[in-house]
Amino acid sequence: MKKYLAVLLGFMLVVSMLSGCTGSKNEDKAEKGKDNPYRVAYIVRSQSDSFAAWLANAVLEEADKYEDMVVDIFDGQSSDATQNALIENAITSKYDAIIIQPNNGEAQRAYAEKAVEAGIITITTNARIDGVNGASSVDADPYEQAKVNAVVALEQIPQNAKVVVLDGPPGNFHADARRESWKKEFFDKRPDVKIVGEEIANWNKDEAMNYMETWVQANDKIDAIISMNDNMAAGALEVIKNNPKFKETLAYGVDGTAEAVLLIKDGIMTSTSLQSAYDLAKALLDTSHKLVTGVEKQIDIDIECPLINKDNVSEYIEMHKKAGAIRN
Amino acid sequence: MKTNRINKLYADMKSKYSIFLVLIVLFIISSIVDENFLSLNNLSNISRQISVVTILAFGQTILIICGMLDLSSGSVLALAGVFSVSAYIKTESIVIALMVAILVSVACNIINGLMITKFKAPPFIATLAMMTMARGAALLYTNGQNIYQIGDYIKLGQGFTFGIPTPIVFMLVILFTIWYILKHTVLGRSVYAIGGNEEAANASGINVDTVKMKAFIINGIFVGIAGAIFMSRVNGGMPNGAVGYEFNALTAAVIGGTSFTGGIGTSLGTLAGSFIVGFLDNIMVLTRVNSYLQQIIRGAIIALAVIYDIWAKSRRTKGTLGKVQAKSK
Repeated sequence: MKKYLAVLLGFMLVVSMLSGCTGSKNEDKAEKGKDNPYRVAYIVRSQSDSFAAWLANAVLEEADKYEDMVVDIFDGQSSDATQNALIENAITSKYDAIIIQPNNGEAQRAYAEKAVEAGIITITTNARIDGVNGASSVDADPYEQAKVNAVVALEQIPQNAKVVVLDGPPGNFHADARRESWKKEFFDKRPDVKIVGEEIANWNKDEAMNYMETWVQANDKIDAIISMNDNMAAGALEVIKNNPKFKETLAYGVDGTAEAVLLIKDGIMTSTSLQSAYDLAKALLDTSHKLVTGVEKQIDIDIECPLINKDNVSEYIEMHKKAGAIRN
Repeated sequence: MKTNRINKLYADMKSKYSIFLVLIVLFIISSIVDENFLSLNNLSNISRQISVVTILAFGQTILIICGMLDLSSGSVLALAGVFSVSAYIKTESIVIALMVAILVSVACNIINGLMITKFKAPPFIATLAMMTMARGAALLYTNGQNIYQIGDYIKLGQGFTFGIPTPIVFMLVILFTIWYILKHTVLGRSVYAIGGNEEAANASGINVDTVKMKAFIINGIFVGIAGAIFMSRVNGGMPNGAVGYEFNALTAAVIGGTSFTGGIGTSLGTLAGSFIVGFLDNIMVLTRVNSYLQQIIRGAIIALAVIYDIWAKSRRTKGTLGKVQAKSK
């Protein structure tokens, strides 16, 4: 008796699974809309990365504005293997679109190509993976982000200045492109400027602080801090902000974080360029929608990276206040 | 006879205090290589820079001597730190903020202790689990974003007490506390006994589980304080802060002669280990050694320091054994 019961239960299980599959097929064919929205998988580099987390939150907020599109977020945990597995899972789950924020562009390239081959709309972002045939991309150009600062620094940094440079992790697309930009747009044009210290602080404030403390010991004068992101610039400024000897030190960053705009407002930091998670999120969702609805076949765009300095900082303070990152 | 005594004293110094010799040699070389190294400001900077990791390392020392370790200290530091910053923003009281940091960290360490003593989970796995959970909790609490505008909270990590940078004062007070616990209390002796031979310690009437729990609670207090100092020093509540600090702390403890086999280690050794890493990092930046090369040199010096320490100690053991064998003949 038990045997028959087991066979019957097994049969029912198989039938229910098959009916489940059929159901989903019917669903796919059904008209897309509020009740059957387009499904977008967003594979985040790492939700532990503060910019990536800001962007993920902004994407979710933006997604609420679309009735016919839902976004599921998956955390790549800064691991190539995890991220690649998540892309494969999203392909298997037949998402309508996959947005990839790569941990390491080259490591995710083959998987982005796999998604395109499977006929799924693929978008790479922050940073884009160049040259994936059939994929779209939305990004902020890291070269431009550094360049807007480098151009003003050409005028601001005095003759024969001594500067220190804080780099992001080597091999990171944004870290390398921003440093390259500073080289071409500033250092190559200003051979009089001497780099008295350059270290990799891995985007981290505490590491930047340690390096700056040591540089301050070795140099009576540091004319400028050139940092590949705001976090490290803020770390270096933390060391000298109350030291009258370094009152005139200029400081440049990238990102436009809440902390950086407050430092610019207080006259401690010179300038940064905005990499707005809100603008990126807006562009990502707009691009996704245009592609899934078939309005366009391929889109490659860059968001703007405006310079933030003391003249326009209040506008960005308002932006962060609205987001709750700055308290009134 | 006199020469023998001097030789013996030298041999004793070399084996017992070998790591301090490494530290002194490194100090002398650094002073010669760069004139800025010896300045009071620079030495004060190094002490301030190593203070957070050293405080964590003191916690690791007591755990390693007891035959355990804590892989969660960096993450728990971040969790305790962000709660502490939040508490300060709400209450504007540094005392409450510090208490919150300690409470959060002790709570995590009690869970670590329970997993290890009650459920017999290996310390490596239990604290690895806590490392992931605590980091996740810190990110969840802050939504992955840094907390800014922390006001006078920065005094804890950037201020001065009796003219000495406050983090260094904390480090010294904790050094004295851990030294006293290990040297002069029943708990300290029990920690060494358990690390040396847990079964023998149990048979001799030591309540092994209680001692292990106490070791974790002490570690929790230290990690909490380190969390508050870290956040204050970087002027923000950073849920991503202090990633990998647990390994820096383990490195300092192990360079300082604390043995992973348990039962061996001292607080002063750990302090020396921490200073070796601090001096090394400082002199390499001062002399502008290439960043990639720095990593290789750092690894090599750590390996050399540990090999030298083991070699010096094994010579002492051989020497003692030789004498015992000669006498028995």
